[in-house]
Amino acid sequence: MDPARRLGPAQIDVLAQLAVATVLLGGIYALIAVGLTLIFGIMRVVNFAHGEFLMLGMYLAFWAFALYAVDPYVVVLISIPVFFVVGLVTYVLVMRGVIQASHNVQIFTTVGLSVVLQNVALVAWAGDFRFVRPWHLSTVIRAGSTTFNLSQVVAFLIAVGLTVALVAFMKWTHAGRVMRATAQDRDAATLMGIDTDRVYRLTFAIGIAAVGAAGVLVAPLYAIYPTAGLQFVLLAYVVVVLGGLGDMFGAMLGSFIVAAVEVAGSYLFGTAWKEIFYFILFILVLVFRPAGLFGQRGAETLGV
Amino acid sequence: MIARLRSRPGAVALFGLAALTPLFVRDAYFLDSLVLILLWGALSAAWNVAGGYAGQVSIGHASFFGLGAYAAALMVTRFGRGPWLGMLVGVVLSLGAGFIIGFLSNRLRGPYFALSTIAFSQVLLIGVSRWRGFTAGGEGIPVPFRPGFTTLGLGHIAWVYMALAAALLCYAVEVYLERSRLGYRLAGVREDEDAAEALGIPTRRLKVLAIALSAALTSICGSLWAQYVGFVDPTYVFSVDLSVKFALNTIIGGMGTALGPYLGSILITSLETYLRATFSGVKTGFAGIYLIIYGTVLILVVRFVPDGLAGFASRLRARRAHA
Amino acid sequence: MSQPPLLALEGVTKRFGGLTAVSNVSFTVPAGDLLGIIGPNGAGKTTLFNVISGYYRADGGRVVFAGQDVVGQAPHVICRLGLTRTFQLVKPFGHLSVVDNVMIGALTRLPTLRAARVEAERVIEICGLGSHASAHARTLPIGLRKRLEVARALATRPRLLLLDEVMAGLNPTELAAMIELIQRLHVDGLTVIVIEHIMAAMMRLARRIVVLHHGERIAEGPPAAITQDRRVVDAYLGEEFVLAQA
Repeated sequence: MDPARRLGPAQIDVLAQLAVATVLLGGIYALIAVGLTLIFGIMRVVNFAHGEFLMLGMYLAFWAFALYAVDPYVVVLISIPVFFVVGLVTYVLVMRGVIQASHNVQIFTTVGLSVVLQNVALVAWAGDFRFVRPWHLSTVIRAGSTTFNLSQVVAFLIAVGLTVALVAFMKWTHAGRVMRATAQDRDAATLMGIDTDRVYRLTFAIGIAAVGAAGVLVAPLYAIYPTAGLQFVLLAYVVVVLGGLGDMFGAMLGSFIVAAVEVAGSYLFGTAWKEIFYFILFILVLVFRPAGLFGQRGAETLGV
Repeated sequence: MIARLRSRPGAVALFGLAALTPLFVRDAYFLDSLVLILLWGALSAAWNVAGGYAGQVSIGHASFFGLGAYAAALMVTRFGRGPWLGMLVGVVLSLGAGFIIGFLSNRLRGPYFALSTIAFSQVLLIGVSRWRGFTAGGEGIPVPFRPGFTTLGLGHIAWVYMALAAALLCYAVEVYLERSRLGYRLAGVREDEDAAEALGIPTRRLKVLAIALSAALTSICGSLWAQYVGFVDPTYVFSVDLSVKFALNTIIGGMGTALGPYLGSILITSLETYLRATFSGVKTGFAGIYLIIYGTVLILVVRFVPDGLAGFASRLRARRAHA
Repeated sequence: MSQPPLLALEGVTKRFGGLTAVSNVSFTVPAGDLLGIIGPNGAGKTTLFNVISGYYRADGGRVVFAGQDVVGQAPHVICRLGLTRTFQLVKPFGHLSVVDNVMIGALTRLPTLRAARVEAERVIEICGLGSHASAHARTLPIGLRKRLEVARALATRPRLLLLDEVMAGLNPTELAAMIELIQRLHVDGLTVIVIEHIMAAMMRLARRIVVLHHGERIAEGPPAAITQDRRVVDAYLGEEFVLAQA
């Protein structure tokens, strides 16, 4: 169900519909982006494989639904601890050695991871497009002259809830403060006795849990296939760059902007060309606004 | 000239062996493997020009490969002209694309540049896939075989020498970068751009030049490949997996070394040929499995053997010299 | 008839957002001079070098080198005009040998590798790096790295050399050697501007010193006068130990 399919002639209705679609989509992007900006802001590593964890979340939702008829919005609760553990394992096996290494090592390691994950999915589950169609996907809600379906709304609400929880965690818990300190100055944090390895482990695990949960949430809304993650990872990086690296509120704001562009683009040009948008948008943002919306310096050379 | 040859025994051995093989081996399957080893080696060497020698790591070189492949295929099927003209057109297109990527390299560093190259290749992939009217879209283009040199309809033995020519071309470019003023200054750009600027090196221009050169070489090989394999499919020729493969061969063999890409290609292409033979029944399974292996190898090599085979060899030589 | 100065700064200003790092700085450097620039931490010294050498674009004023305003020119263009700078945090080409490092500098003026190698070997001897010529730059300790930084810059055959804190991190022997090297280069005709924090070295080198504080030029003159200058002493409040060395 395409959130931006064409409607009747009333302009305001169209705008209202697009606005609603933007909000609903933006909420989900926010969940992906917030986890990514955490990883990037604290660990200073560009994770090329981030989208693959989203893809795995989508497959988790698919198989739970296909095999056990479990609704994705129930699965999301399990997905958080599952992907938290996946994040821990990935950190220990792959990411730990990469943090202090050169750019090239980071690029090739995470690209390698991305290739491995995509093809594990391909070998295990084949490349056919899969779909999750729970009952709420076809349940339409009307508010005034706008329509949206229940899936989008619930996904949005859960995504917002998780994002808020994450922000609260970062702001008010001790662990969150420690993570923010490490983001600001790695060396000073070490001198303060902070075990940066534990911080990175936790950060990465949280980031992966967030994106895995997001994958479960978007599963009813998109086709599921092994390379589905690629488009999302570029979008996520657009959001992160727009919002400023490591800035969670910026990531949220950037998410809504990107969602708006996607929704408007789909409406104007049709969904066939939607995928191209992500990539063109990515290139345009990096070329023209590398410093983000708030003019964060250094982002253009992206001194990681 | 002899002195030059003597200083590079590995290359003489490798290319000499490749040149001599068709005289003794007639098995089509074996010769096919040799052609692929040489072509992938050439492609990886072309990538190495930008990635290893100029320090601009791109994961989007399939853009240029695909442009070259499509230019050759379309020139033959759509315009009824020869593939060599297509190769020329491909080079022109790839130079254009190379300048765009070069522009990006002056705005973005490291991982973000790499991400943007991926985005670029995906824009091409989707665009070509959807442009049904012109490119036959996602169905791909079968390239007809017409015997003759001008139509690149060659027998297996001729293809070995064609691929060898491409491999030698890319190798020669690499060697040139190791022993020329341009190459030395490019090394400075690779090592530290700011320092290079302070020494009077026009870093932005050199980066664009290296990327454009790399793009042109990749495109040439792409055109050859299209004629050799006989089928051009957008989801393959513009794929990220392909881009990764160019980098993988080079990293295994030794990034920034002239012979490295070819060493890596020997290893990986042989592995692929072996796996294809073993898993020939299960089509999808095969494709996925060798990519899983590639990804894992990439992670391991880049962490534990960052200099690749060539680096390992030179360290052995150094140790033996000290012993 | 007096020649025009090799370098003339006229009201150079550089801002970063709300912060004015360099404010209306003017001075001239005649050919053959050895000028020192000092100032407490954060005074804007390296920023000034960055502006002069083209890494930052001046927001106001002119930088006139050899009669040409070079504001807005790229660093490599300015180097080709004859102005070469070194970096405070040295930037060796780590994976390359010392010879290769210096050769890359030499290639700025020379068209072939052979000529560059000859020049590089000459410069390496001058800078006392002869016994380390084939070592990889990243294996060198800081003292030799600093010397490499100077050698590489020298190989570009500059008319004006900007040295940014080349003494920092050197032991007394290395320090003496570096001072002697710079003096020798100067005697041979090279125009040099030196940023230094080590006053003892500065006193021995510079015939004239410009003092920066909060981005402004607060004093200029011979070394002896500078260290007695009230404004300079006040500027170094909290860092008196620096001036005490003089």
